[in-house]
Amino acid sequence: MLIMNNIGKVYQTDMVQTHALRDFNLQVNEGEFIAVTGPSGSGKTTFLNIAGMLEGYSSGQYMLDGIDVGKLNDNQRADLRNQKIGFIFQGFNLIPDLNLYENVEVPLRYRGIKAAERKRRIENCLEQVGLAGRAKHLPQQLSGGQQQRVAIARALAGEPRFLLADEPTGNLDSLMARQVMELLEQINRDGATIVMVTHDPELARRTPRNIQIVDGQVADFTLYQGKGAASQALKSQMGA
Amino acid sequence: MLELKPIINALLRSKVGAVLAILQLALTLAIVSNSLSIISERVSYLNKPTGYPEESIITFSVMSFDDKVDANQQLIVDERILKSIPGVIEAVGVSSVPLSGGGSNSGFSLTSEDDGKHTNSGHLYANEQVIRTLGVKLIEGRDFTSGDVLISSEYAKQPDVVIASKAFTDEIFGEGRGLGETIYYGGGPLKVVGIVERMTNAWPRFRNADRLIIFPMVNANGFQDFLVRTDPSLRGEVMKKIESVLLQENPNRVITNMKGLDEVKERYNSKDILMLRMLLVLITALVVVTALGIFGLTQFNISKRTKQIGTRRALGARKSAIVRYFVVENLIVCAIGLVLGTVATVFLGQKLMSLYSVPPLEVSYILITALGLIVLCIASVIFPAKKAANISPSIATRSV
Repeated sequence: MLIMNNIGKVYQTDMVQTHALRDFNLQVNEGEFIAVTGPSGSGKTTFLNIAGMLEGYSSGQYMLDGIDVGKLNDNQRADLRNQKIGFIFQGFNLIPDLNLYENVEVPLRYRGIKAAERKRRIENCLEQVGLAGRAKHLPQQLSGGQQQRVAIARALAGEPRFLLADEPTGNLDSLMARQVMELLEQINRDGATIVMVTHDPELARRTPRNIQIVDGQVADFTLYQGKGAASQALKSQMGA
Repeated sequence: MLELKPIINALLRSKVGAVLAILQLALTLAIVSNSLSIISERVSYLNKPTGYPEESIITFSVMSFDDKVDANQQLIVDERILKSIPGVIEAVGVSSVPLSGGGSNSGFSLTSEDDGKHTNSGHLYANEQVIRTLGVKLIEGRDFTSGDVLISSEYAKQPDVVIASKAFTDEIFGEGRGLGETIYYGGGPLKVVGIVERMTNAWPRFRNADRLIIFPMVNANGFQDFLVRTDPSLRGEVMKKIESVLLQENPNRVITNMKGLDEVKERYNSKDILMLRMLLVLITALVVVTALGIFGLTQFNISKRTKQIGTRRALGARKSAIVRYFVVENLIVCAIGLVLGTVATVFLGQKLMSLYSVPPLEVSYILITALGLIVLCIASVIFPAKKAANISPSIATRSV
C-alpha cells in the first residue's frame, strides 16, 4: 500500500539545513492500523505530510498503491490525494462557513461526483458516525468529539483505501477520544488502512503496530499480539 | 465545478465583508455611470461647432466717457478705422458677444397677438457687416443691406427684417421653412430675409444654444462691444494695434476685454471643463478605491481562510479549483452589487435629471460601467486568488 525507501527531507534556510527525515524506510500493508509515535520535532508530522502528499521530499522513493509519487505533478498529486487518501486532522479542520453536509461534500465535489451519489455517500457517512440528524448544523454548534466525527465522515465519504490521522484525539477529552478511537478501529475492521500519528502511548498500544520515529528515522517498532489479521500477516512476514 | 451553492451559503453566513463590497460596487456603478453620461454630454457640447471661425475673430469693449460724442456715429467711424488695419477682413459693433454668457434672449411668436406661444431665441443688434464679420454661412435668402439697418437710440423701435439661424426657423416654422416668413417680437413684425446654417448664441451650454436672431439695428451706448474678423495668421498683430488706432481717433475712452473669440468660449466653458476634470478625478478615485476594496476583501478572506485553503488542497482541490473558488465568490458579490447598483443608478439619474436638468441616462452607460466593474472585479481577485492557490496543503497539519 505504502512503501517509503530512503526518504530524506531537508528544510533549507539561508544559514541552516535541517534534516527532518533521513533514510526513512517504511512499508505499510493493505488493511494495517499503525500508530506513529515519537517526541516532538522527531519528524512525525513531516512523515505524515509526505505520506499524504501534502509536501514533497528531498530524496528517496515513495510508492503509494504502486504509483511513484515523485513522478507526479501538482494536479496529479491533488487527484491522487482526493481518490486514495482520507485525512483526519488534530484540529478537525472543518470549514466553519459550511454545514456538516457541505463539509462532508467538499472532497466529493473535487472528485466531480454527481449530486445524487454525493447525497447517498454523505448521508451514509454521517449515519456511520452517528450524526445523520445534524446535517444542517454548523461545526461550531457541535462538541469537539462530534466535530472530529464529522471530519472522519468527510474522510470516509471519498471511500479512500488509506486514512491518515494526525493526532485525531489530541483535542478531545478521554471519553470522546475513546469514542473516536473505537470508530477508527471499526473503520479499520471494515478494510481501510490507517496510519495514525499520536503522542498518546495508551492510544498507540491499541493499534496492532507502532512505529517510533526519532531524529527523522524509524527507531523502533512494536507488534502487539492478537490485534487483527493484518498484524498477524506482518509478524509472519518479519519472522517475529 | 463552480461550487455555487456552498459559496452562496458561506457568503450568507458571513455577510459583513460581502455586504460592504456589494454597497461599494453599487455606489460605484451609480456614480460612475451617471458621471460618464454627464461627461459625455458635456464633451459633445464642448466639441460642438459654433458656426464661427473662432480663431479669426477678436472681441473687445470700448468704454467711453465723452458725453458729447454721438455714440452711433462714433461706432461707424470706429468700424471704418478697424477695417483699415492690415489683416482685418471685417469689423462690427454688436450689442453682445456670442459665446460669452452675456446677451439677450426673448420669446418670438407667429402672431402679433400675445397668445402665450413663444419660441425662445438669443438675439443681438448689429449693422449689415455682422454676417461677414461672424464668418457664418448664409444658406438661404440674402445678407443685410445698409437699407435694412435702423440706427436709433430708441429701444421701442425695431427694424423690419431679421436674419435667423436655421435651428430657430426650423423650430418655429418647421423643418426647411422660414425664409420670407414673418415673426413677431413685442407685437412688431420681423420678416426673415436670411437663414444661417449654424450660429450659436451667448449661452452654448443651454439646449437652445443654436437659436440666434440678428436684428439690423445700431443702438450704441457708452459701453460698446466690437467683433473684428481677421486673417487668422495676423490676428495677434491686429490685436496689438486696435487700442492705439482707436485711441488715436478719440482718446477719451478705454479699450477693455480684448481677446479672441476662442478665448471667450474657453472662459465660458471653464466651469464645465473644471467640472469634467473633477468628475474624472472623482470617478478615477472611486474606481481605485473599489478595486482596492475588492482586492483587500479577497486578501482578508484569504488570510482568514489560510488553513481552510490548505485543508481544501489536502482534500484534493487543484490550484485551479482554489482560484476558481475566489473568482466565483467575487463574481457573485459583483453580480449582486451590480444589480443593486443598476437600481441606484436609475434612481440617481432620475434625481439628477429633475434637479439639475441633466440629460436622461442611456442604458449603454450602465452597461459599459457594469462591464468595466466586472473586469475590475476579476482583475482585483486574480492576484490574491493565485496567491491563495499557492498555499501549501501541508498547512492543514500545522497548528496555525
